[in-house]
Amino acid sequence: MVTQSTEASTTNGATPLIRLCGVTKVFLTDEVETHALSGIHLDIRIGEYVSIAGPSGCGKTTLLSILGLLDTPSGGSYSLKGNEVATLSFPERARIRNREIGFIFQSFNLIGDLTVFENVELPLTYRGMAAGERKSFATEALERVGMAHRAKHLPSQLSGGQQQRVAVARALAGNPAILLADEPTGNLDSRNGEAVMTLLGELHKSGATICMVTHDERFAQHADRTVHLFDGRVVEDRVAA
Amino acid sequence: MQALWQDLRYGARMLLKQPGFTLITVAALALGIGANTAIFSAINTLLLRPLPVEDVDRLVVSVTLREGFDPFGSPFLEYAAYRDRSHSFASSGVARQRSFNLIGQGEPERVRGATVMANYLATLGVKPVLGRAFSAEEDQPGGPPVALISYALWQKHFAGKADAIDQSLNLDGRSYNILGVMPPGFDLPGVAEVWIPLQVNIDNLPLTERAATNNEILARLRPGVSLKEADTELKAIAHQLEQEYPDFRRGWGVKVISLRQNLLGDLEGRVRSALFALMAGVGFLLLICCANVANLQLARGIARERELMLRRALGAGRWRLVRQLLTESMLLALLGGMAGLLLANWLLPILAVLNPIRGISLAAFLHNFAIDQRVLVFALCVSLLTGVIFGLLPALKSAGVHELMPRIQQRDQRVGGAASGRRWLKGLIVAEIAIALTLLICGGLMVQSFQRLQHVDLGFTPDNLITMKMVLPASRYSQYRQRVGFADQVLERVRTLPGVASAGMTTNIPLEREIAYDAIFNVEGGPPPNPNNVPITSHRVVSPNYLETLGATLIKGRLINKNDRAETLPIVVVSQEFARQAWPGEDPIGKRVRRVRAGQTFPWMTVVGLVKDVKEDLFNYRINRPVWYVPYAQVENDFPVNLIVRTSVDPTSLVAALRDVIHRVDPDQPVSDIMTMNTILSGVLVTERFGAILMGALAISGLLLASIGLYGVMAYSVSQRTGEIGLRVALGAQPKDVLGLIIGYGMKLTLVGVAVGLVMAWSTTRLLASLLFGLSATDIATFSAISLLLGLVGLFACYFPARSAMRLNPVEALRYE
Ligand SMILES: Nc1ncnc2c1ncn2[C@@H]1O[C@H](COP(=O)(O)OP(=O)(O)O)[C@@H](O)[C@H]1O
Ligand SMILES: [Mg+2]
Repeated sequence: MVTQSTEASTTNGATPLIRLCGVTKVFLTDEVETHALSGIHLDIRIGEYVSIAGPSGCGKTTLLSILGLLDTPSGGSYSLKGNEVATLSFPERARIRNREIGFIFQSFNLIGDLTVFENVELPLTYRGMAAGERKSFATEALERVGMAHRAKHLPSQLSGGQQQRVAVARALAGNPAILLADEPTGNLDSRNGEAVMTLLGELHKSGATICMVTHDERFAQHADRTVHLFDGRVVEDRVAA
Repeated sequence: MQALWQDLRYGARMLLKQPGFTLITVAALALGIGANTAIFSAINTLLLRPLPVEDVDRLVVSVTLREGFDPFGSPFLEYAAYRDRSHSFASSGVARQRSFNLIGQGEPERVRGATVMANYLATLGVKPVLGRAFSAEEDQPGGPPVALISYALWQKHFAGKADAIDQSLNLDGRSYNILGVMPPGFDLPGVAEVWIPLQVNIDNLPLTERAATNNEILARLRPGVSLKEADTELKAIAHQLEQEYPDFRRGWGVKVISLRQNLLGDLEGRVRSALFALMAGVGFLLLICCANVANLQLARGIARERELMLRRALGAGRWRLVRQLLTESMLLALLGGMAGLLLANWLLPILAVLNPIRGISLAAFLHNFAIDQRVLVFALCVSLLTGVIFGLLPALKSAGVHELMPRIQQRDQRVGGAASGRRWLKGLIVAEIAIALTLLICGGLMVQSFQRLQHVDLGFTPDNLITMKMVLPASRYSQYRQRVGFADQVLERVRTLPGVASAGMTTNIPLEREIAYDAIFNVEGGPPPNPNNVPITSHRVVSPNYLETLGATLIKGRLINKNDRAETLPIVVVSQEFARQAWPGEDPIGKRVRRVRAGQTFPWMTVVGLVKDVKEDLFNYRINRPVWYVPYAQVENDFPVNLIVRTSVDPTSLVAALRDVIHRVDPDQPVSDIMTMNTILSGVLVTERFGAILMGALAISGLLLASIGLYGVMAYSVSQRTGEIGLRVALGAQPKDVLGLIIGYGMKLTLVGVAVGLVMAWSTTRLLASLLFGLSATDIATFSAISLLLGLVGLFACYFPARSAMRLNPVEALRYE
C-alpha cells in the first residue's frame, strides 16, 4: 500500500471529474455551530472507485450530500466536470443530479408504491425521456444488476439485498458520471452486503466512477482508493496497490 | 366493570395527553352533532311534540280543492256528507274563522275568533280551564248567546279573575255570556280569542249556503283507520257529491291532511319535505365530520400502530384493544355531544327567527324550538352512533392484524402494512368530497329556487306600502252607500296626510294569509261556464286609486277612477292571465264578462283596462292566477275593507296618523293587522327561505369540513412521504415535479370524490323536486358549477401541503429514514 499526498493525485493533467477545494460545511442548530466539514480538498477522476471511511459523525454523509448536490458547502469551491456548481440555481442543480449523479442509500432505497421497474425508471421520467427509451434504459440497468426478472414486483416482495440491487440499477439507469453510495451495505447481512459490493466492483471494472461511504474496513478494500475522514478533515488518502 | 373503569381512565389520559387532537375532534363532532340536534329540535317541535289538543296525531283536516290544487274552505254540504256516509271518523266538527269588533272594553278592538260547532271542540278534546264548554243544546238554532274566551283575553280584559265567568262580552254590538276560559296557548281555528257556538241546523239551510266554501272540517280518525284510507274514502264521497250537485260541486275535490300539516300552513307538504331534506343534510354533514375525525384517528392510529402492536405482543387480547379504542372514541363522542348540545342551544333561536311555517295557530307551541327530553335522547343516540362510526374503523383495522413482528420492527411506513391505512384515508376523503358535493348541489338548487321565487314579478312595488284591515259591522253600516261613504271619507283624509303619496281600498291585501274572495267568470257570447274547466280567479273589489297605489302596471285602457259609480256603466279591469284565459289571442278591451254563482246572476261588466299580472294569492304564488278588479262603488259586498297606503316616508311612521284619521271618521271602528307590504311578503316564502338558508349553511359547512379534511390528509400524506420526496429530489425531481406529485395525488382523490358525488347528487336531488322552482332537480349549470367549485377548492386544499413538500430540504428529508 502506498500513501500519497492529496496534491499528488491531482497532477495527472486532465481536469478531474470532481474537484473540491477547501470545502467547509457548518450547521447552525440552537445557536451551536457544528463544523461537519472543515476544509476538504478532494479530486475524483473518471473511472476511479473511491471509498470514504471514518467514524460515525465525522462528516461522511455531509460530504456525499455536497458531492451529490443535495447540499451546498458553506465555503470553498466545488467543480464538477470543470464547472463550478456550488452557486447554481435549484432547478439547475436538480438537472445535474438527475443526469450526472446516481445515488445509492443505506436504506429507504425504493418507493413502496412503485414496482421495481417504475422505481428504476423514475430518474429517467424526471429527465423527460420518452417511454420507449425509458423502457430500454431501465431494462438494461435491471439486467446489469440481474433483477430484470423481478421488474413487475413491488419492493416489499424482495429481500433487502435484492432491493439494494434494484437501487443500484436505478442509480445506473441514467448513465450518470458518478455513482454516490452512502453505506450501501449498512442494512444488509454480510452475504447480501458482499453481493452488492461485488456488483459495485463489476460496475467499476466496466468503467463506472464510484464514490462510496462505508465504515466497514472489509468493504473499503473493494475500492482502489480510500479517503479517511476524521472530524471533518481528510486525514488519510491512499490508493490500493 | 373494573376493566371498563380502567379503559375509561386510560382513555381520558390519552385524550388529555393530546389536547390538540382532542380539541379538534370535539369541535368537529360538536359541529355535526349540534347541527343535527338543532334540526331535530325543529322537527320535534313541528312534527313530533304533542300539542294542546288530545292525541293530535289522530286529528285530520279535510281541505276542499279546486282543480286539484287550489285550496278553499269546506262547505257544510261536504261536512254533512262525511258525517252521514264516512266510516273513517270517530267524531268530526266544523269551525269558521271570523273576527269581531270587541266594544266596551276600552278602545274598540278587532279580535279574531270563530264560530264553532260544539262537536268541533269535543273532537279536538280541549276543555276550558275555567267554566265549561258549550253543551249540544246551546249549539241549537235559537240557542243562548254564549262565548268562550282565550286565556290571553281573560288575562288582558279580566285580569285572570274567576268572576269573568257569566260576565257579558259585547261582540259586534251583541252581548254574549262568557261560559269558560280555554287553556293557555290554545287558539284553534286560526288564532281565535273568542269562540261562539254555530247554532245552525246545517241540513235545513238553502243549498247555496250549504255549498258556500268557508268552513274548516276537523275530524278524529277512528282507531285503526289511516289517514290514507280516510283520504280515499272522502275522495270517493266528494266524487258522489260532484254527481249529486253538479252545479255546485263539479270540479271540486278534497284532500285529507293531518291537523299538524294544516297547522304548519303546508298543504303541499313542503315543510315536511324541507325538514326531511335538512335532516338528511345534517346527517350528511355529520358523516363528513365523522370521516374527518376517523381520518384523524387513522392518521394517529397509524402512528400508534407500533404501540398497539407492542401491547398485543405483551399479551393484550385483540378485543381488549378494540374495546380500549372504542372507549376512547365514545369518550370523544360524548364530549362532542355535550358541546353539540350547547351549539344547538345557541342555534335554536336562529331557527325560530327563520321560522319555516306559514301557519299562525298554536304559536306558543309551534314557534318554540326548545330542547326537550326527546331532543336530549336524540343527541345522546347520535353521539354514541358517531362514536361507533368513527371509532370502529381504526379499532377493527388494528384488530385485523395478525403478523405482529413486521409491524413492530417496521421502519418504513411506506412499505407494506401502512398501505391499508392509507387506503382507508383515501376512501374517507373521497366519501367526504362526494358528500360535500351532494350537499352543495342540494344547497345550490334550493338557494337558487328561493332567489327565483323572490324575484318573481309581483306585478306591484312592495316598498313603502303600509296596509291595515277594517271590518265594517252590518249593525252600523246597514246601507251599502254608508260603506262607500266611509271608504271615501277615510281615503280623502288619508291622502291629505303629509308623507302619504296615495291610498286605496281593497277586499284582500295581496298575499295576505286571510281567506281570499274568489269567483268564477262567464264571458259574454261564450258558453255558460263549465265548472270543470273554468279557472277560479281572484276577485277584488277596489276603490279608485287602489291599483295606482299598489303600483300595478297598466298595459292598455284605463284603471278604475272616481267616476265609476253605482249608476254608471259597470266596468272591470283584468289581468293578463285573466285576458289570456277569457279571450285567448284577442284584445280584451270592450269585452264583457260577469261573475257566476249557482242560483245567482250578476250584471255584465265591460273591460276597460288590462294590467300586468299581480300576485294576489298566497296559495298560488308559484303560478299566475287570473285577477279581476271591480269598482268598490259598483259592487255591493260585505267583505272587509283594507286600507293600503303608499308613503314617501318610512311607512311605519304613519301608523298613528292613520289610526287617528279612522278614529275621526268613526270612533267605534277598530283597525287591525297594521303591516307593511314587505312584512307580508316576508311571510310568503318562509319555508323556502328556511330551507335555502339552512341548506346553504350546511353546504358551506360541508365544503369547509371536506376541504379541511382534504388538507389534513394531504398534509399527513406529505409528512408520511417526506423520505420518498427527499429521494425523488435526490434523483433529480424538479420543484415542479414535487408540486405536481402532491397536487396530482390530491386532485385524483378530489376528482374521484366529485365523480362519486355527482352520482349521489343525481339520485338525491330528485327528492327535492317539490321544493324547487324555476329549475330542474338535475340542473346542468348547477351540477357543473358546483363540481368546478369543488375542484378549485380541492386544488387550494392541496396547494399548501404541496408547497411545503416542494420546500423540503432533501438532505433532512432523507435523514428521516
Ligand atoms: N442538518 C444538520 N444539522 C445539524 N447538524 C448536522 C446536520 N447534518 C449533520 N450534522 C452534524 O454534522 C456532523 C457530521 O454528520 P454526518 O455527515 O451525518 O456524519 P457521518 O455520516 O459521518 O456519520 C455530525 O456531528 C452531525 O451531527
Ligand atoms: Mg452517515
